[in-house]
Amino acid sequence: METLQFLADGFASALQWQNLLFAFVGVLIGTAVGVLPGIGPMSGVALLIPVTATLTSGQDPASAATSAIILLAGVYYGAMYGGSTTSILLNTPGESSSVVTTLDGYQMARQGRAGAALSIAAIGSFVAGIVALVALVLLAKPLSEVAIKFGPAEYFSLMLLGLAAVSGLAGKSMTKALIMTVLGLLLATIGMDNVSGVARFTYNVPVLYSGLEFLTVAVGLFALGEVFKTVLHRDYGGGEIIKVGRVLPTRQDLKESAGPIARGSLLGFFIGVLPGAGATLASFFSYIMEKKLSRNPEKFGKGAIAGVAAPESANNAASGGAMIPLLTLGIPGSGTTAILMGALIMYNVQPGPLLFEDHPGVAWGLIASMFIGNLMLLVLNMPLVKVFAKIIETPPKYLLPIIIAISVFGVYAVQYTTFDLLLLIGCGIAGYFLAQNDYPLAPLVLGLVLGPMIENNMRRALTASNGDFSIFLTKPISLAFLLVAVLWLLVPLLLKLRGKKVIINEEA
Amino acid sequence: MKFNSWKWKPVVAALAAAAAMSALTACGEGGGSGGSGSYPSKPIVVVAPSGAGGGWDKTARSLTKVLGETKLVDKTMTVENKPGGGGAVFMAEYATQDKKNPYRLFVSSPPILINNLKKEGNSPYGYKDATPLAQLTKDYGAIVVRADSKHADIQSLMADLKADPTKVTVAGGSAPGSMDHLITVLPAYKAGIDPKAVKYVSYDGGGEAIAALLGGNADAIGTDISSASEYLKAGKVRVLGITSPERLGGDFKDVPTLKESGIDAEFTIWRGVFGPKEMTDDQKAYWAEKLQALNDSDAWKKELAANAWEPEFKGSDDFAAFLGEQEKMIQELLTALGMAK
Repeated sequence: METLQFLADGFASALQWQNLLFAFVGVLIGTAVGVLPGIGPMSGVALLIPVTATLTSGQDPASAATSAIILLAGVYYGAMYGGSTTSILLNTPGESSSVVTTLDGYQMARQGRAGAALSIAAIGSFVAGIVALVALVLLAKPLSEVAIKFGPAEYFSLMLLGLAAVSGLAGKSMTKALIMTVLGLLLATIGMDNVSGVARFTYNVPVLYSGLEFLTVAVGLFALGEVFKTVLHRDYGGGEIIKVGRVLPTRQDLKESAGPIARGSLLGFFIGVLPGAGATLASFFSYIMEKKLSRNPEKFGKGAIAGVAAPESANNAASGGAMIPLLTLGIPGSGTTAILMGALIMYNVQPGPLLFEDHPGVAWGLIASMFIGNLMLLVLNMPLVKVFAKIIETPPKYLLPIIIAISVFGVYAVQYTTFDLLLLIGCGIAGYFLAQNDYPLAPLVLGLVLGPMIENNMRRALTASNGDFSIFLTKPISLAFLLVAVLWLLVPLLLKLRGKKVIINEEA
Repeated sequence: MKFNSWKWKPVVAALAAAAAMSALTACGEGGGSGGSGSYPSKPIVVVAPSGAGGGWDKTARSLTKVLGETKLVDKTMTVENKPGGGGAVFMAEYATQDKKNPYRLFVSSPPILINNLKKEGNSPYGYKDATPLAQLTKDYGAIVVRADSKHADIQSLMADLKADPTKVTVAGGSAPGSMDHLITVLPAYKAGIDPKAVKYVSYDGGGEAIAALLGGNADAIGTDISSASEYLKAGKVRVLGITSPERLGGDFKDVPTLKESGIDAEFTIWRGVFGPKEMTDDQKAYWAEKLQALNDSDAWKKELAANAWEPEFKGSDDFAAFLGEQEKMIQELLTALGMAK
């Protein structure tokens, strides 16, 4: 009951006109930030901190902190909504968490179903946002206790499961998927190793110390690869312009998406709670889960609406889940929440175990505003769908240069180095040839994201156990993840040996 | 007009960026007397050699904001982020291309020394390739355990480490050979334990390290006191020792320094501002005057308090001398770890 009272106070504070305005400005900027590749949620929030400091300077400290955090959090989850737009329309993921959305989203757009894809992404994000918030209100304390028990061994096994599962993302061949996964892991070793401090494959080139930037590789492989394909294959030659069909999803679409949205929301929330695991992993996992559960797995990768609904719900729910370790323990689960935490500290509000006791107004005001902000996002995004969906009708001779410009601008805005522009072009060329030869790109990207995390957690676990590998088997949660991972790889092989047709080969 | 729907996107980005910039640099054109001569005659860039949002970035943004608002510097000051290699990427460019450019300053902290001294992934350039202008803030290291830990003081932790280093897991928020690691092994090294034998697990950032401590995945962590204070207040952790020369006040008034516990170890985590290697005396005098005035201003004191930064001001010469001493100490520690260049 006490919780409800606090929540009611939170709504009272979030519904003040200036806070409504702050929430609106936040989600509006967040949507823009999400749409533009290059300005990710992290730099978006960081750039706005000084602006909010100026805007709130007239208020008393406590309400200034509440207003500022409402705006900044709005940018954060607004960006999660917006991130899907370029993935779906241009095959250009703006954030790592929307990479997997390109797989089916872009295919839907090419079939003239961009409107349905965009609106299901918005609806899924909304539902996920609300689910995550309800869970946040009810489960924050107990979950934070569980989340910190998650040690290096558990993380290692969870991520290994992620990689094993990614073989299910593949197109025609599991072998090719595994090759790409390993290639991603290899690329991930470039740079300064975080555990030993050794520089690997850097050849004394300073730009390589921090490794290959994930965004550059992903945008190159997906967006530029697609541009090269269109140019080389003269896809535009026919002058045929893709028509946008209906903007809203059909009843059938909604029916097909309901399950994926519900499952994606829950899965995303729980993965988001784990510090460090984050939205990317959540989106991949939920996509793979839907593909496994689906009665028509062969539709995935060819424009299945569940392949958009599930990951978009999951990444939004994960951003809600990530608020739990931040608000209850002061432990940021991602780069963006780390910056949100910095913003709170600027207002003398220290996120940590005492936040709910010392500053209940700020904490509950924020939670309440997230309910309102999610609603605003839905209202804001549904009309925008119509506008955005028109982009797909642009003739390729205009659209392709725009995609290239956005890719180059986006990458340069993040990295500020010409090296990354060369890498972008290199990845574009590689992406074209790989896609031509049926090598799936998503496993490479996931390998690149998970590589350092897998490696670091494995060695953290081994350092703690003095080099004893049995630590991965003696921890029950870790053992469970490992068993599932092994089954994931073995079962299709065994089925194949027994002469049965394996699901992933049906696509051929 | 099919492109109409497109146009607003770059515009929004430009607006957001412009709003951020103007808020940062909203300084008047009038007022403020120059040190001498015509310097500065152009806008000044302060580089944070990291991405947006980190400690360097926040220091750079606060510095430019207050210098502008108080009209101490009447030229526009902007912050530029130059991420990569823990500052090494920026230093390589700065020390070679900007060594005579007094319109680019940068913000740094002990990693500028550490990166230059360690064997792997080192930066060929260090603080001697720049002009230290002033130290602005300080922080100290802390050795922290869980509140229910069996270690009540630093001696008992050291005794366990000495008895069997494989039984104690210590952690920190950065790579081996970097600052958290040095802070973590410093007391052990000074207490006569081989720092190479200490089992150090590195996490991505202080937050993850605290999570590992609270979740029971580490027995002790090395961190900075500003990150530890909230957990101390909440009664979740116990701070066994801090690396300050004297006992601190406030939340840390009951925490002994390492020196009090009989371990002769000190480490100051400073943040300061640097200029290019070749600066004229006029330019140095200009910044000496301006940064001293900044340190004396109320606006800066407010900014420090808002960020929970401890002020400590050292002018150019004192700062350079202090850096020389700290460099020696880091060199010694890295050599003991077998990680020196």
